[in-house]
Amino acid sequence: MHKYIIRRLLLAIPVMLLSSLIVFGLMRVMPGDALTALMAESGNVSERELQKLRKDLGLDLPYYEQYLIWLWQMVSLNPGYSIFTSEPIPVALKKSIPVTIELTLLAMILGLVIAIPIGVLSATRQDKPSDYVGRLVAISGLSLPDFWLGTLVITFAAIWFSWIPPLGYASVWESPWTNLQQFLLPAAVLGFRLSAATMRMTRSTLLEVLREDYVRTAWSKGLGERVIIYKHALKNALIPVVTIVGGQLGTLLAGTVIVETIFALPGMGRLTVEAILYRDYPIVQTNVMLVAGTLVMLNLLVDLTYAWLDPRIHYQ
Amino acid sequence: MPADGQSQRAARQHVNRREFLKRAGWGSLGITGFLVGTGGSRGFAHPPSPFPTWDPASAKSPRRGGILTRASAWDPPVLDPRLTNSVGLFQIATLTYNRLLRYLFADEAKNNSDLTLTGDLAEAWEGSPDFKTWTFNLRQGVKWHNVPPLNGRELVADDIKYCYEAYAKEGVQSFTFQEIDGMETPDKYSIRIHLKVPNTMFPQNVAEAVTVIFPREVLEEDGDLKKRMIGTGPFILKEHDRKVKVVLTRNPDYFDKGYPYINEYRILSTPDAATRLAAFRTGQSDILVLQSLADVETVRKTNPTAVVEEVANVLAPFGLALRQDKPPFNDVRVRRAISMAIDRQKQVNTLYEGHAILGWGIPYFYWQEELPSAPDLGPYWQYRPEDAKKLLAEAGYPHGFETTLFYYEYFPQMTSQIQLVQQDLKRNLNIELKITKNDYTTYFGRYAEGKWEGTAWGFQTGYAVSLDERSYQYMHSKSPKNYFHVADPVIDELTTALRQTPDRAEQRAITKKIVEREHDQVLRMWMPYDAGFYLWQPHLRTIGQLDLRGNFGYGSSTLARLWIDK
Repeated sequence: MHKYIIRRLLLAIPVMLLSSLIVFGLMRVMPGDALTALMAESGNVSERELQKLRKDLGLDLPYYEQYLIWLWQMVSLNPGYSIFTSEPIPVALKKSIPVTIELTLLAMILGLVIAIPIGVLSATRQDKPSDYVGRLVAISGLSLPDFWLGTLVITFAAIWFSWIPPLGYASVWESPWTNLQQFLLPAAVLGFRLSAATMRMTRSTLLEVLREDYVRTAWSKGLGERVIIYKHALKNALIPVVTIVGGQLGTLLAGTVIVETIFALPGMGRLTVEAILYRDYPIVQTNVMLVAGTLVMLNLLVDLTYAWLDPRIHYQ
Repeated sequence: MPADGQSQRAARQHVNRREFLKRAGWGSLGITGFLVGTGGSRGFAHPPSPFPTWDPASAKSPRRGGILTRASAWDPPVLDPRLTNSVGLFQIATLTYNRLLRYLFADEAKNNSDLTLTGDLAEAWEGSPDFKTWTFNLRQGVKWHNVPPLNGRELVADDIKYCYEAYAKEGVQSFTFQEIDGMETPDKYSIRIHLKVPNTMFPQNVAEAVTVIFPREVLEEDGDLKKRMIGTGPFILKEHDRKVKVVLTRNPDYFDKGYPYINEYRILSTPDAATRLAAFRTGQSDILVLQSLADVETVRKTNPTAVVEEVANVLAPFGLALRQDKPPFNDVRVRRAISMAIDRQKQVNTLYEGHAILGWGIPYFYWQEELPSAPDLGPYWQYRPEDAKKLLAEAGYPHGFETTLFYYEYFPQMTSQIQLVQQDLKRNLNIELKITKNDYTTYFGRYAEGKWEGTAWGFQTGYAVSLDERSYQYMHSKSPKNYFHVADPVIDELTTALRQTPDRAEQRAITKKIVEREHDQVLRMWMPYDAGFYLWQPHLRTIGQLDLRGNFGYGSSTLARLWIDK
């Protein structure tokens, strides 16, 4: 197992290097740079002055030099400063990462809390009304885009209840109640989508497992339904579900961009999108690398979870 | 960006999402255009709305205290006023800093178009007979905010000199301040500014929102102004949490005694238009900008006591920019033909629900009393497709030609507007317009740096109030702000003459000639526009909206006079 983990971690190095090259290259291919964005609405800055500012920011260096400097900064865990605001990137990340982590975790918890019981119910009551309702909910979750659902939720909350989550951001440590109000709706919107895919996968895999010989044996031994489903069947049915949830994390992170914008939360999504629009290269590159690293680690974690869920699986 | 353009853009995003949903069933704007055809009034494109454009100051005695909150689409990109003209910054900077001069606030102005200048940091000013030297006498006892490193130090003439020199040295204001040949400070409270060329409108230029006075100590200590914002203004920056909020607190030592009335002003970063609307509905935000009458009516169903003001349309910020220094657009016949082939009234009817202006570039009150009607805009602003076709044939393009257009979608309606132009040009002149939509940075880089061919959807910047900025600086061939690439010797002559003319009536006459020349030669092809509506919570007082400035973007400083009646 240890060897497997080490091998996977070593394999992550070329993946991360490739990611770094792609994000660095893509940002340079995009027209304009941070100065163009910064000087927007002005237009009266001479080319000479722009050159001077570009030099100050190191944007005049050859690309390979810029890349190597940035790579070294990443390796030495000092990603530098935002071109746009001059704010140290760790400071910007320190503010935005907790927001996105909290949103994602809450969305995942809500998603799973909704998805697994309904998925189980759908599977055990196949083709009954409760199954149809569950499937309808799942299809809705897959079909409704986050931006539409988010807008609808906030608009109707305002019209029907004269209430929307308090604008701004209060950390969970400073004001847990305000924080909960601020995160519950966006997490529900985000979690709804996650729950849909998970619900469908839980239903279909559980249906499959329920037809396995060992489950039939368990029934014939006279075990109770609850024991058979939750102890014997569900654990095995969860392996593909874990894969789905792991895979959905990327979607979830992408969804935070929209949801953070609608609910005015200052997370990684907004930070990254704004940085892309303003060509704030260091911020975009650092954020993409963080997300890439997170996904690599999560994939590893998902693979390791398989072994925990199914003792027949061994990694060498 | 247009005046308060971001607010309007933001409002339009909301409007257009709604509009999009509403109109989705129509299929497409092409069908819309077909259905509406070319009908509608040809005479006047701006029917009055039921809402006033001016809310006079309350006769009640103002109350002190309270918190004003606004859900805002704008985030300051940086705090350094040398580096950006962004409305995101100046919604704050105009409250923490001052300028030498300013325009009247809402409780001082007679109406929304009252552009009387008054002293801000200066209490008196005068120009030399040749208008090359301007002397400003400063107020005495103006103190910087009582925070380190200024600690309430008195503002003196050397501060103004230092600040203007810094502006001239680098950054986005350099063009304005590089016109300064030299400065003297005969004493602590006066500054004499020598210009390289005469300019009767220099006082207006130093009243622009973007010419705020910052302290030398911060620039010297920090090397820039990105981290701290310490000024002499009515509010002190208490908190700036990027993408979350800005909190401004009352400056107890403000030189304009008794002001501001409110204790705190909170600007909550809210990028989504639907969320801003919901925030207004639930009372989390005191101010809202909406684009259409239909939207205003929808909001009034849940908030019947909201106070609505129509934002006066005084200019169009967007239009078709042609590469007029190159063929085929260097031929005035081509430009005229294109202008006559575009049905502006159709745009007004379909995109703006009948409530918009046909489009002109210089604020109308600088050249005529009344809001211009279609005939005031000359023959080439009228929709005359047959004449357009003949003229284009005369210019040597009987079968049309292909060209390109690039744009940034400031608001979703803009895409529809451009598509209508594309259809008109194809149908009437067989001109094939290939459209490219860019993101903001790409668009701006190409447009403002002039690295483009064919056509672009052009704009004029939003902060400018002064006639000098709107005429000479935007149209003179040598000006770096001449985005539309106007290169017309008559315009150069007229805009230069305007700067040397102190008499208001003469200025007006010259401006009229500039506008007529612009329209005759189709130098900038302005398109219909509507500035929309402001909605205020009913307990706010002294909220009269001010032309070209607004009340909470570049014109935020008027909030020093706003008070809360509850």
